[in-house]
Amino acid sequence: MVYKFQSEQVPVRGDLSSALDRAYRQIGQAGSWLNGKQRRAIFAETRYSWDCSLCQSRKFEPSPYSILGNHQTRGNLPAAWLDVIYRVVTDPGRLSERWFQEALSGDLLEDEFVEIISICVQALAIDIFTNAVGMELPPLPMVEEGHPSRSRAPEAKSGPGWVATIAPEDAGPDFSNFYANDSHFYIRRSLTLVKEETKRLWDLLNHLYLEGPRLFELEGLDRGISRAQMEYLAARVSFLLGCYY
Amino acid sequence: MRLRVSGQQTGHEYNLQDVMDGDFGKSGLPKGDILNAFVEAIIERDLSKISVARSAIISSMGIKALVDSAATVAAFNAYPRMADATGIPLEDNKKEMTSEMRKEFGMERLRFEE
Repeated sequence: MVYKFQSEQVPVRGDLSSALDRAYRQIGQAGSWLNGKQRRAIFAETRYSWDCSLCQSRKFEPSPYSILGNHQTRGNLPAAWLDVIYRVVTDPGRLSERWFQEALSGDLLEDEFVEIISICVQALAIDIFTNAVGMELPPLPMVEEGHPSRSRAPEAKSGPGWVATIAPEDAGPDFSNFYANDSHFYIRRSLTLVKEETKRLWDLLNHLYLEGPRLFELEGLDRGISRAQMEYLAARVSFLLGCYY
Repeated sequence: MRLRVSGQQTGHEYNLQDVMDGDFGKSGLPKGDILNAFVEAIIERDLSKISVARSAIISSMGIKALVDSAATVAAFNAYPRMADATGIPLEDNKKEMTSEMRKEFGMERLRFEE
């Protein structure tokens, strides 16, 4: 049976329900660097990471490096991948350049790192949304056949953070629309190293939140809360996660 | 920052310190206390508290408010993690615009030990 992000009890607006359906289905498909099976495994580990005793113990330490150990995985992804997923989910406020460099010191490519982050945050958003509205969590997405192209974007350059990105001025015709409407924020640029994946991710985020954050108030958008209430929720979540971007 | 701007545009003044502290009785935001209970329950991953907060939103604000509150909270579980995982800095113009606010809330002092 196909899972639907819609129910009689919880009528989800059509654009959001469709975006959730797409994001969920695409996680099981080949991406740019990872195949469907790997992407589904990242979804699963994102869900399981909350119960990891290493992560829970580290929360009480002044430094995440105070306790060494292995994450409590239920699958067989490489250790470097797991540390990326588990730290992003359970301790995002204490991610550091050291953590990023350590992740890449093994077999993990920068492009794979970016795709993992994208899947991880989409899986989180899907689970958090369904839990919050009182729907059952969806099963792990179906794996579909397909091969990632594994081709690095030649226009990507270092910065503005640790990860290489495509600057708006370097975006080619296949990507210039991504920066339309003056949406040049660093957050939008953060995962552009993997172009197709970042388009998938923002297709979901735009429907969860707003496509044009420069909008003053909601200007005709169909939302059940005011802009101030949205920003209040946003500020509160960021604060509770320890993020001050 | 967006909350402050939104307030300026609608003629409301929201107390950001109260927002940071979770003191929503004083924050001035309509239904702030209900929304705060919802966010905190989700971040704590406490299913029974989420259920109570969900019912409170439905009964006082309606089902559409529940869906859009949940969607916003879901989105903002992604954005900060993307920023933190890639080390992106604050844009220069935002640094300038928020320098007073960052001083006010002591954000420049927030660093953790490795």
